Amino acid sequence: MTEQEHAAPLRTPPPPGDDAICHTYRTDLAKVRALVLQQARAAGLGEGRANDLVLAVSEVAANTLRHTRSAGTLTIWREAGELVCEIEDEGTITDPLAGQRRPGPDATGGHGLWLVYQVCDLVELRSDESGTTIRMHMAVNPPPAGPRPAP
Amino acid sequence: MDLLTTSVATGDSDGGPYTLVVLAGEADVTNSGALRELLDAEVAKEPRTLVIDLSELRFMDSSALHVVLRANRAMDRQGGVLALAGPRDPVAKMLRLTAADQLLPVYATVAEATAE
Repeated sequence: MTEQEHAAPLRTPPPPGDDAICHTYRTDLAKVRALVLQQARAAGLGEGRANDLVLAVSEVAANTLRHTRSAGTLTIWREAGELVCEIEDEGTITDPLAGQRRPGPDATGGHGLWLVYQVCDLVELRSDESGTTIRMHMAVNPPPAGPRPAP
Repeated sequence: MDLLTTSVATGDSDGGPYTLVVLAGEADVTNSGALRELLDAEVAKEPRTLVIDLSELRFMDSSALHVVLRANRAMDRQGGVLALAGPRDPVAKMLRLTAADQLLPVYATVAEATAE
């Protein structure tokens, strides 16, 4: 994502109401991770990529705990060919390139958003004084039609 | 049940005496303060080798990593070695992506970590 995109509207439309899963969290990040893992598996993500998404969402949700005094909201939905996890909270990220530079090798901070960008297929981040929305997208490969040929 | 359980033991191997910290469960921002206190206390005893067994750890986030990197720096300063042992897939991948595995030794097992 470039700096220009930081100011642009979110690429995807807001989540549809019906099949989206919404969860409000304060400190129970284990619950957040369990929910993401369950949904990632149900969407057909492989175990490695499911765990990647769990890590990304957990890092973003951890920032809610670290930087705000209020609850955050996790919304999960599927759209054409992908699974999307969105975290919304009242925090503000002022650096449009936050997480896009690799922290120094011995840095004891700043790895959270870096990891999010590394493991997700697409990250959308919008932030202003009213709050922050981060959408993490993972492509879901449709199962092959018909039986797989034997290797 | 606690999200993260910890235990500490000391041992002796061909490589000399060592301290072993075993982490089990999930290490994240909600328990990284407790983890920091535990590691600070063990580092303060100035062991030559401090091994953290990660084989029972299902999840580790960047706050837990930062606590480990901080302990690594302190061990470095006092001439000791901090090593990680047995990380499973999600944790191993996280160590790789953050390049933490370039910064401190990561072994497949505690036996290998304490042999040197």
